[in-house]
Amino acid sequence: MENGSSSEGKDPSAFLSEIIGAPVIVKLNSGVVYKGELQSVDGYMNIALEKTEEFVNGKLRRNYGDAFVRGNNGLFDSSPP
Amino acid sequence: MASQLLLSELIDKCVGSRIWVVMKGDKEFSGTLLGFDDYVNMVLEDVTEFDYTGAQIKLPKLLLNGNNICMLIPGGEGPTAGA
Repeated sequence: MENGSSSEGKDPSAFLSEIIGAPVIVKLNSGVVYKGELQSVDGYMNIALEKTEEFVNGKLRRNYGDAFVRGNNGLFDSSPP
Repeated sequence: MASQLLLSELIDKCVGSRIWVVMKGDKEFSGTLLGFDDYVNMVLEDVTEFDYTGAQIKLPKLLLNGNNICMLIPGGEGPTAGA
């Protein structure tokens, strides 16, 4: 791919490896939100989280020590505000 | 075929500038494009998320799954800018 021209430009895999270990917010297509520490990510964008909190309609539903989110759930994620 | 322009080159020109992303569902995002890959997964910075209620959510950094992207508007500041 020809998008390595600018040094500040980060492709998604570089961004992901950079935020391993950071607290992240993962939102699924369904609107369910998972907050936790990013443990690992693979090429399918499967995501492993630690100390995970599950939010449905903005309300805390469950806590998981370890959670695995399958990448095909149309998620996007971000470092927290 | 000298004038053949890859669409990915078009998106590459937007790296570093503001972009407005319209998803397949009810969501839209505007932010600074940091990068993207072959699937058009995108990394955005200083993002505002717009949902169907009109609420705006600020996100400092965002990785967006390309699976649900519908439309990209270079230079766009989101649905409220022109309103």
